[in-house]
Amino acid sequence: MYRGREGQWAFLLHRLSGLAILAYLLLHVFSIGSFIFGERFYMAIHETYDLWPFRIGLVFVTAGVVYHAFNGLRIIVMDFTGFGVAYQRQMWYGVLLISVAAFLYAAWTLYPRLVGGY
Amino acid sequence: MTQTHAPTSAAPVSASVPMIQLKVKVLRFDPEKDKKAHWTTYDVEAQASDRVLDVINHIKWYMEPSLTFRRSCMHGICGSDAMLINGRNRLACKTLVRDVAKSGGTITVEPIRGLKVEKDLLVDMEPFFDSYKAIMPYFINESPAPAAERIQSEEEAERMAHSSNCILCACCTTSCPIFWVNGSYLGPAAIVQAHRFIFDTRDEATQQRLGIMNQNTGVWRCRTAYNCTEACPRDIPITQLIEEVKRAVMYGQA
Repeated sequence: MYRGREGQWAFLLHRLSGLAILAYLLLHVFSIGSFIFGERFYMAIHETYDLWPFRIGLVFVTAGVVYHAFNGLRIIVMDFTGFGVAYQRQMWYGVLLISVAAFLYAAWTLYPRLVGGY
Repeated sequence: MTQTHAPTSAAPVSASVPMIQLKVKVLRFDPEKDKKAHWTTYDVEAQASDRVLDVINHIKWYMEPSLTFRRSCMHGICGSDAMLINGRNRLACKTLVRDVAKSGGTITVEPIRGLKVEKDLLVDMEPFFDSYKAIMPYFINESPAPAAERIQSEEEAERMAHSSNCILCACCTTSCPIFWVNGSYLGPAAIVQAHRFIFDTRDEATQQRLGIMNQNTGVWRCRTAYNCTEACPRDIPITQLIEEVKRAVMYGQA
């Protein structure tokens, strides 16, 4: 493991959250589009989404989208301004803080679903 | 520090300098014997103020003569001894033992990543220098030379002050996570070198170099992981320079 500092982990999390969002989007398009094969097929897929890994995954998807979006803003600031590079570390901690807040808020609002299902 | 007796002139100087015990873990690879690299640990006695290079030299000279690595000037100028020391790229000759290990501690030494390991800590630097050559690292100015110097103002010289500090040690390029997985990326060192000529007011090949930087092996592969900036033994703000080149490419100016 290379002992990089904040920037390396910001990059890695950005890449991972991006891939997770892509996977979620493809899954989403497929499962909604599956209605063309009939209602039974569609419902079979959507009933599996009631399994606990999917319920918990929803909270992580929310945090991932928020992280990717706000870190994207951090990258834009770095790319377009000179001071962005100087304050990238502080901005990243801000991004993490917002992502954790989003995670907690999503967990809070989704709590009935997380424990009780749909 | 407590001393049991005052050093006398008869006592050797080294007797009064406290020694510390170190375990030095080196990732070794002999292409004639090994299929895979393997860790070998050496117990070494050193001073806290020794450089890591002194410790590695000690191993080579007194313990394991076959240990292979590059070093030349040993003063942080030639850029030969870039190594992955305790998980970070550094020059072995600019890293003090006390900054990476306490007494009884361990120092790990690996070859820099992303380049083919020839033997032990020695890697094939050719791809690195190919990237360097690709950015045309030489002064280009076809207009007739003036009678005296080509004049630059202090501000103009300041523009390329950081990028002209590079010693091509490869600490930055081989710390880049993009370079590890995509060897065709020119890498931070080549971009820093390009920056040195792009922002040189006397040079006339700016547009050509911006064109090279705009290719898919160029500056856009940078994902701002900042490992290069942390690794640079010359304290060049590499990511900042890369961002400047990005903006120069985007706005088509320098």
